[in-house]
Amino acid sequence: MNQVMKHTRQGKVAKEVKANRVILSLVALVIGFLIVFSYRHTISEEEPATRNDREWARNIELHERLVEIEERNNELQRELIEKQRQIIALEFEIASEEEIFEEQARELETLRKYLGKVPVRGEGIIVSLDDSEYDPGADDINQFLVHEHHVLGVVNELFTAGAEAVAINGKRLTARSYIVCNGPVINVDGENFPAPFVIAAIGKAEVLEKALLIQGGIRDQLVDDNIVVIIEKKNEIIIDPVF
Amino acid sequence: MWLPILGLIIGMAIGLLADIHIPAEYSNYLSLAVLAALDSLVGGIRAYLQNIYDETVFVSGFFFNILLAIGLAFIGVYIGVDLYLAAVFAFGFRLFQNMAIIRRILIAKWSFRKKNKNS
Repeated sequence: MNQVMKHTRQGKVAKEVKANRVILSLVALVIGFLIVFSYRHTISEEEPATRNDREWARNIELHERLVEIEERNNELQRELIEKQRQIIALEFEIASEEEIFEEQARELETLRKYLGKVPVRGEGIIVSLDDSEYDPGADDINQFLVHEHHVLGVVNELFTAGAEAVAINGKRLTARSYIVCNGPVINVDGENFPAPFVIAAIGKAEVLEKALLIQGGIRDQLVDDNIVVIIEKKNEIIIDPVF
Repeated sequence: MWLPILGLIIGMAIGLLADIHIPAEYSNYLSLAVLAALDSLVGGIRAYLQNIYDETVFVSGFFFNILLAIGLAFIGVYIGVDLYLAAVFAFGFRLFQNMAIIRRILIAKWSFRKKNKNS
């Protein structure tokens, strides 16, 4: 049938051509495949371009997000700086408050010392007042005794000179202390003490001593009243608290 | 005559339906293969019109040219010379030449037939 077709359609030329249809078909198949595949390949290659467009859009989007995040970052950083400044201000405040606390604590300590609520230790002086030897020739026994006003004078002088703590015969004096005459004894804060009276005072020993030894001062007055006065400087005196 | 057309259609169908993906760097080879195939085809048509068509030469040339062009481009990539350009040039040149020859032959046949009719 092929031969017939060849003869009728291509006439003379077909005789010389031994065209094997099968092989020609194979060639046509390959050509068709190649062309179409190449076409499809070109089309699919254009896709990356569109993908590029998409990538571009994505890029822009990401870039915008990056800018956004960076702006947010800047904002947060500014906030952080602001907060740090606040913290520094607060710290300064706390520091000054602490200073105040410290001062107050120190003041409290001092006040406690004055109140006699804490034991006090330090340099100071000890003043002993004693009745003098009785002289039978004298007419008044009072001339030889230590009176409460003598003790008061010494105590006042010591406090005036800056004594931090004073004790009479180990009895700590506070702001509410009292000294009264009670016949042959002296009553300090409700406790009776006979002579001799040992007055311990903590403070600058030098100053306290000088204060007592002023000319015409308390020492001279005591001596005039025939009282035996012993003034002793000590490097360390401990005065117990009173409750 | 129908069988080659059927083959063409089947080839197109395979090309359309086949889900083959080749990397972008091989697209040069593909275009070269297409060019070689077209060149062989046109060459075959020309030989047919000039009555010097030989099936063995045509078929072997068809496949051999494709493989040679691809091989040449492949080697060119590896030795750093754009040999595929040479193949494109040669095939393109021959394609146009063959086309021109086919055109002349067809024109000659047409004018010969016309003259015969007139006379």
